[in-house]
Amino acid sequence: MTGFGKYLKTMLDRATVEARLDGSATVEARHLLLAVVADQGSDQGSDPGRVLVSAGLDDSAIRAALSREFEASLNAAGVTRSVFDGLPPATPDPKHVPHLGASARLAVERGVGSASGPAPQPAHLLLGILQAEVGTVPRALALAGVDRADLIARVAQTLK
Amino acid sequence: MSDVTVPQDPANALAAVAALRRLADQLEDAAVEQAMRAGWGWPAVAEALGVTRQAVHKKHFKRLVAAGVTLRRR
Repeated sequence: MTGFGKYLKTMLDRATVEARLDGSATVEARHLLLAVVADQGSDQGSDPGRVLVSAGLDDSAIRAALSREFEASLNAAGVTRSVFDGLPPATPDPKHVPHLGASARLAVERGVGSASGPAPQPAHLLLGILQAEVGTVPRALALAGVDRADLIARVAQTLK
Repeated sequence: MSDVTVPQDPANALAAVAALRRLADQLEDAAVEQAMRAGWGWPAVAEALGVTRQAVHKKHFKRLVAAGVTLRRR
């Protein structure tokens, strides 16, 4: 498996865990973003995760932004999550394997598609996630005050 | 709900749909688990949700077993 193939598999595995904990039937771009930022301390190093943190987007900031986006989108329909606070949350199934959702699939396709050479680099996956113009991730980043175009430029600078 | 403004921006309206679906999925998992822990059977849960017994069984059985919920057959 190539370097990127190995990196992508690691990210997808981690995103799958995130999706499961999230009680989501599918792995989405938001889970991939959390996987990318979690990849900070590996031997190979990880520019994508470091760029996110240097932009103020560490794990907790991303989770807070995603949570805010969810609440804001519900509020737009007159619904708040707290209405259901009395209902005990479902127990996640540790064996459930969520399949790849549409937003994650698009992120991977865009990331691989944005590589100019034959071999994509880890940063291309993050670029693919960040290139989405609509959906949960760009809305969450906007709510967090992140300049997505600037972030994309910073990630692109790390390409070798 | 009457004082809620319907989102005029398509992006907001679509995001609301996506968030409501996600919330509905989370609520379904939680509510089915709560009902089964309270001793409900599959037919009653299915009828209450307005879906077939097969559909609710297929979607929730493995998770509830893994969660240690005692399941009634009826």
